[in-house]
Amino acid sequence: MLIETFYRQIGSEIVTNKSFKFSMPVYKLHYFNNPRRGRAELSRLIFSQAGVQFEDVRFSHSEWPNIKPTTPFSQVPILEVDGQVLAQSNAIARYLARKYGLAGKDEWEQAQTDMYIENIHDLLNAAAVPFMEKDPAKQKELYQKFMTDTIASHVVAVEKQLKKNNTGYLVGKQLTAADLAYYAFFSDFIEVKFGGAFLKDAPLLKSLIDRVKALPNIKKWTEFRDSKYPEEN
Amino acid sequence: MVFPSRPVKLLRESLKMPGYKLYYFDVRGRGELCRLILHCAGVPFEDFRDIDYFKDWPTIKTRMPFGQVPVLEVDGVKMLAQSMTIARYLARRHGLAGQNDWEQSQADMYCDCVYDLHNATVDATWEEDPVKQKDLFNKVNQDTIQPHLEKVEQHLVKNGSGHLVGQGLTWADIAYYAYFTTPIMTRLGGEVLTKAPHLKKLIETVGNNPNIQKYVETRPVTSG
Repeated sequence: MLIETFYRQIGSEIVTNKSFKFSMPVYKLHYFNNPRRGRAELSRLIFSQAGVQFEDVRFSHSEWPNIKPTTPFSQVPILEVDGQVLAQSNAIARYLARKYGLAGKDEWEQAQTDMYIENIHDLLNAAAVPFMEKDPAKQKELYQKFMTDTIASHVVAVEKQLKKNNTGYLVGKQLTAADLAYYAFFSDFIEVKFGGAFLKDAPLLKSLIDRVKALPNIKKWTEFRDSKYPEEN
Repeated sequence: MVFPSRPVKLLRESLKMPGYKLYYFDVRGRGELCRLILHCAGVPFEDFRDIDYFKDWPTIKTRMPFGQVPVLEVDGVKMLAQSMTIARYLARRHGLAGQNDWEQSQADMYCDCVYDLHNATVDATWEEDPVKQKDLFNKVNQDTIQPHLEKVEQHLVKNGSGHLVGQGLTWADIAYYAYFTTPIMTRLGGEVLTKAPHLKKLIETVGNNPNIQKYVETRPVTSG
């Protein structure tokens, strides 16, 4: 039974990992421990979906002044790959997605995957404004404006693209990091924080994020993550 | 024996190269990097910038995938949004993205940094009050640009080729060139690169690229 499991694991690695080598690169992903998900979560989801081992390094804000000068641009997340370092959350996610078969089947699909990931990046930047607001009344107002102005119009646009693509996925006929990015943002952040009302006129988007949520590797990761790193805010 | 006529030959040639149409306003802004990459690579494209914000934009906006520009239309049928996605797609297709996966990711990383710099500078760029604009610019320079330049200079020296990534020109070099030669940078940023001589030299090198030089000499003069 153990042998079978071993070979099945290797087999699934060969299937999911286009550049399979008998020695996998050693990955270390570095990020703050709070926010729990933030800019590192997409990469963690990619690792998890692809079944690739990585060291999930999380440090406290008090440790940051010592860590900061060691990073390429004084920011995190950073990814160490066999000792070499890559910065910028999207560059990391894109590198991993391409390496582990989650970036579409050709150049055009790769570009579409990039496009959706960058949409989410812009939405995260927009969400950062109310997120950082200290005055609770002003924060509530900013979040409301964010939902009615930014989120509502984007949901309409992406629903249209999903309908046009007509495969249940954002890009082509298969799961890509684009779907993971939309799940991470809309389900794991927006839905948790504001409820699902914003999805009432977006059945395709709702169906997509529910499907990603239920993927075995994603489910396994979120269960592990939620128990190991309970939510702070 | 009938030989194909010249128009037929030209048509055949044009069918091999994708037909690119870049939609953006008549400013540099988020579209300029895409334009520079195409000009640098010597790739023809339709630079569709005659978009009046009040007359034309409301209609054009509805045709864009996410109600935004720049958008790259390829062969009249498929559309790609997001400025950095378009720039990356063009760079990869036309030999300006690095020699292997790792170099491509390094180039992505630098370009994502430039995207962050653009975001930080956007308020200053479009501020109409000159005094307020100078204040905003100086703040961005002090808080964001100078700390970033310190790191970039270190990486440039370490890489040792004069370029940001690998041994040759990539869209990362062009992205830094585009950012550090914007109208606001030209007007207010005279001292910005004083402590970054290697980056300054790289920017000059990119500016001296014959294709880029030819484009820059003839491009419209805009405020941003």
